[in-house]
Amino acid sequence: MSKPKLELVALRKEYDNGAVVAVDDIDLTISAGETIALLGSSGCGKSTTLNMIVGLEQPTSGDIHVDGQSVVKIPAGKRNIGLVFQDYAVFTSMTVYKNLAFGLEIRKKPRREISKAVFEVAELLGITERLKIPARELGGSELQRVAIGRTLVTKPDILLLDEPLSNLEAESRLAMRRELRRLQQEIGLTIIYVTHDQIEALSLANKIAVMNAGKIVQVELTTEICRRPGHVFVAGFLGSPPMNLFQGRFKHHADQLYFEHGVFSLNLSSTLNLVSIPSGRVILGVGPESLRLVSPGSGDASGLVSRVETMGSERVITVEIGGQAVHILDSAAVLPPRTEEAVDIAFDLNTLHIFDADSNLRIDLHETKVDHCEPAN
Amino acid sequence: MKTEASSKTTTIDQQNAVPTPEARGKKSGRGISRYMTVPGLLVSLFVLVIPLLVALYMSFTNWTPTRGTLLEANLIGFENYSELLFWDNRFVHAVVRTLLISGICLVLEFSLGLGLAVLFLREFRGKSLLFSAFLTPMMVLPVVVGYIFWMLFQSNGPINQILEIIFGAEAAVQWFRSPNHAVAAVIITEVWHWTPLFFLILLSGLKSIPENPVRAAIILGASPGQVFWRVVMPMLKPVIIVAFIIRAMEVIKLFDEVFMLTRGGPGSSTETISLYIYKLAFNDFQLAYAAAAAFLVLIGSLTLIHLMLLPVRDRLLEGNR
Repeated sequence: MSKPKLELVALRKEYDNGAVVAVDDIDLTISAGETIALLGSSGCGKSTTLNMIVGLEQPTSGDIHVDGQSVVKIPAGKRNIGLVFQDYAVFTSMTVYKNLAFGLEIRKKPRREISKAVFEVAELLGITERLKIPARELGGSELQRVAIGRTLVTKPDILLLDEPLSNLEAESRLAMRRELRRLQQEIGLTIIYVTHDQIEALSLANKIAVMNAGKIVQVELTTEICRRPGHVFVAGFLGSPPMNLFQGRFKHHADQLYFEHGVFSLNLSSTLNLVSIPSGRVILGVGPESLRLVSPGSGDASGLVSRVETMGSERVITVEIGGQAVHILDSAAVLPPRTEEAVDIAFDLNTLHIFDADSNLRIDLHETKVDHCEPAN
Repeated sequence: MKTEASSKTTTIDQQNAVPTPEARGKKSGRGISRYMTVPGLLVSLFVLVIPLLVALYMSFTNWTPTRGTLLEANLIGFENYSELLFWDNRFVHAVVRTLLISGICLVLEFSLGLGLAVLFLREFRGKSLLFSAFLTPMMVLPVVVGYIFWMLFQSNGPINQILEIIFGAEAAVQWFRSPNHAVAAVIITEVWHWTPLFFLILLSGLKSIPENPVRAAIILGASPGQVFWRVVMPMLKPVIIVAFIIRAMEVIKLFDEVFMLTRGGPGSSTETISLYIYKLAFNDFQLAYAAAAAFLVLIGSLTLIHLMLLPVRDRLLEGNR
């Protein structure tokens, strides 16, 4: 199987004569055999990007290269790029076999070859028993297998998955996630996985490209992106709950370096390199796991508890500090504070993230060791 | 066992339970609602069931209005039916002719309606105006349509004038004098009148087809023709069959246009089954014989509709999946 490399070069998609920019000059390079997740909230341009890659939509400008060759002018059916839709898009009037065979029948392959390919893929996906059944009689995860199988039968160079697990129930989603990981390892395809679910992205992809408002704000290895979010949007998007972001400035006072927020002040002299401190406005990112409740009078900031949510063995405590909701991740085993209770919060100064408030980009002043969003299994 | 025990307990509890005022209200409400259906049932009984039973009884007699009352008429068993089926060539020809005209009309209306529906999936200038224009024929009364086309098909009418302009003087046709041309005139009128119904049903069917299976087929390399015939048409099948059934039920009853255009002529070359039954009943006053013919047509129509429904009946009845 060939191992192409996909490149998106200043890819742009506008609608209504430029009034709406769905995809805003994005650049992305994907190596052969790599699985990259396009992660972002709904409407950020993920699906439009996929549609342009597969050929269902023409870019307004920019280029798409597969193996170094531009494919922009090649029609969708001739690019050998497969797409699996969120709603499966299975042909319900056909049997499972006919669905799987569709792509090869269109290509006028010999009947024996089609049958062999269909049975191989059905075996791989565990749907051999269902081949004779009309597709409309299948359940959610089986429909998804048929949709994936229908694409795999044609041996695509690149497989695009557009939120393939969103319509499944929690249990099926977990099973299909394991299934996709197995397929990925067995077939070694180049995969672009579009999702708004960070757990899916973190568990399935080697790399994550985070999209916001039509732009790719960061492309990073899955293992790195939580540890070192490169953009304020990424810091505020990843993690559940996401990172707390505080706007403020650095100030020197009596040979000490302080982060001055409107409501509290942090002495960072022991943590940061004094020479390279930025003079303008900055955003301080603090993961909810890097904050803890302490006894009154001994914390870095004070606030009022507004909400306490217990989620299994963990608890998310929301504290209002100067009108800003701050999330703290705590163990559910500890006695929770009451709502409206005045509390003090202590910051773990070794796990801070600093961003430029103008460019929203990360400023590297020290090495962060804590993985803020813990990739799921 | 556990389930059985618990269900038994529930039953006992339910039996012992004293009904709450709300429950009593609901029970008496159910009683009232049952009685509220009575007027409707009575109307159906007098308007539908009793006339149908009287007609069925009449079809087994030799009654005509000139031979006293219906109760005085002799019961002759299946004589009317056997006469119609085995000896009445005019009836058999009318049935065959009706089926032939219906078949041709349905195929033409479907083809034209589908073509128009596909055309209207695209955006073009004047689309909404054309949409209203194409639907207009359907809203005109059949009698009016018959009269309009009777005028259009006259020897020196507009259709012949157009034919003469395009193809020369010898192209003019005596529409109502030759059997073939008269049948063609009936079919053209019927197609003009009812193609909009197919167009409307098929357009709404095409609009409701999900977009992604079509996109999936395109990505898998299907040509526009393959997408249409292999993906779109199978998904449209239930809608097509429903459209055919609705139209088939109507076209089998074809009467008004034929009556206005040809009165069944020349000879009986355009005599449809409805027209033949009408003539039996109101020209020849053979009411019992006409009733038997009507029942045969009813049985035939029901069988035909049932056969047409077979391929999609399960899918239509299974509900949303």
